[in-house]
Amino acid sequence: MINSVEAQKCIRETLVGFPPRVISAYHTFVEGGDASNLDIAVLGVLHFYLAKKPAEPLDALPGTTRLVEDLGCDSLTMMDTIFMVETLFKVRIDDAELIQLTTLDELRLHLRRLVKESGPAAA
Amino acid sequence: MPVPRIIVSGLGFITSIGNDRTAVTDSLRHLRSGIERHDFFPGHDLPVKVLGTLKGFDTAALQWAGWKWPAGYRFQPEALRGMAPHGLYALCAVEQAVADARLQPADLTSSETGLFCASAGSPRLTRHYLNQIHDSNGERIPPMGVVSTIAGTLNFNLAAHLGVRGAVAGFVSACASSTLALGYAHDEIRLGRLSRVLVVGGEDLNADAIYPFQGMRALSRNPDPAKASRPFDRQRDGFVGTGGAVALVLEEAGSALARGAPVYAEMLGWGQSADGQSISGSDPTGRGLALAMQRAMQAGGVGPADIDYVNAHATSTPAGDASEAHALRAVFSDAGAQPCISSTKALTGHGLSLSGVMETGFCALSLAEGLIPGAANLENPDPACAGLNLPRTTLAASPRTILKNSSGFGGSNVCVVLRRWNN
Repeated sequence: MINSVEAQKCIRETLVGFPPRVISAYHTFVEGGDASNLDIAVLGVLHFYLAKKPAEPLDALPGTTRLVEDLGCDSLTMMDTIFMVETLFKVRIDDAELIQLTTLDELRLHLRRLVKESGPAAA
Repeated sequence: MPVPRIIVSGLGFITSIGNDRTAVTDSLRHLRSGIERHDFFPGHDLPVKVLGTLKGFDTAALQWAGWKWPAGYRFQPEALRGMAPHGLYALCAVEQAVADARLQPADLTSSETGLFCASAGSPRLTRHYLNQIHDSNGERIPPMGVVSTIAGTLNFNLAAHLGVRGAVAGFVSACASSTLALGYAHDEIRLGRLSRVLVVGGEDLNADAIYPFQGMRALSRNPDPAKASRPFDRQRDGFVGTGGAVALVLEEAGSALARGAPVYAEMLGWGQSADGQSISGSDPTGRGLALAMQRAMQAGGVGPADIDYVNAHATSTPAGDASEAHALRAVFSDAGAQPCISSTKALTGHGLSLSGVMETGFCALSLAEGLIPGAANLENPDPACAGLNLPRTTLAASPRTILKNSSGFGGSNVCVVLRRWNN
């Protein structure tokens, strides 16, 4: 699904304006399934939407970094991030799961699990 | 307690005739048009072929991250994430106006500062987001789908971006909206509730925002950009759409002068009325607009003989311009007054809810720069204009008092009176 011409066009349009590192990590993940690139892409999306951005990429910060308290992630930022991640990786994050995600590690690991469960359609 | 004098202390323009105060003044002085040929649906030969275009912006992408704007603006791109294209235009206009008025961040976040806005929302983004929702049978709902699209998107976004604490409100009276925002801003300052209000009008500029007006045959089918928008002319056949944003700082004079802000004009008063007739059309007699003009002048303590220039609402539609001409004759000709009259929509096109604050900004420049914009593209005035003074070229005059007219759907009429600052 994600590799169809139409889907690729949609993804290209979706990623307009995102940093090249995030776009590259996304495509590399789709081609090879390497989880570290998934992390870079997911955290890169969150970084993109944060109103006040840390100087470093989020994947360079400790995994215990808290989304709200440390990064200032408000509900709209979180929903923008989740909507984009769902679009890119063809996964669904339900509301009950969402409120359990409080740190970078929790977000990263949850996405790894969801993408793995959703199988080849995502990767 | 003395009644405060209220002035225009800052201006910002993103318009078809210029993206800053200097360019706009130059366009008004030389009657330089911002209207160009435009394909609303490329590849299709549609009857409407002109638009008041913006220069230096590209908001064709559905994603804000793909938009482009002129260099030099300092806002973070993330400020755009909840915005429609006219939010981008407004950010640029606000940045100009704030700098022009020498306002500091602490001034903006003071409880003395308010923000009043007008826009019609974003039909294009509404279509895009609703399509996403329908295509997914309700499974996929874009988080910014509401705040970036509905009328009010400007006040939501700008209030958060600027940290406004005094008051925030949106006005929805179609093409009279931003003039109404100016009026109520004036009242808030006069009542002592606020020291200043940032008044902002903005509109998207794309087929979704403009082309629906063709459904009521309100748009000009004249393909010539130099003649399509011709208010008060016998050959007028509809308006030319435009978009953009204008920001105006309306302020109690004392605080502005203490800060060393410029003074473009004093706003003496305003008035409004309602036609009580049609959803979209003006009262053919012009009675409603005449009442709004009279109320504005009464509130400002001036009479018809004091008005040197009227910046008319006239959009170049056959019915609307005739209605306004009747109103102008009733108010001025019958009183023996002959102010200069023109509609600057001949140059810009019609900016819908943006138009009132845009043209009030033009009036403020007229007072500050000593010019009266001419009635561009006017060759053969409509007989309804008999006796009205419609100069064809911009006059190097020094108007002392100006009346600005606006009318909108539902019969909303709003007028403001500005005067050259005299301390």
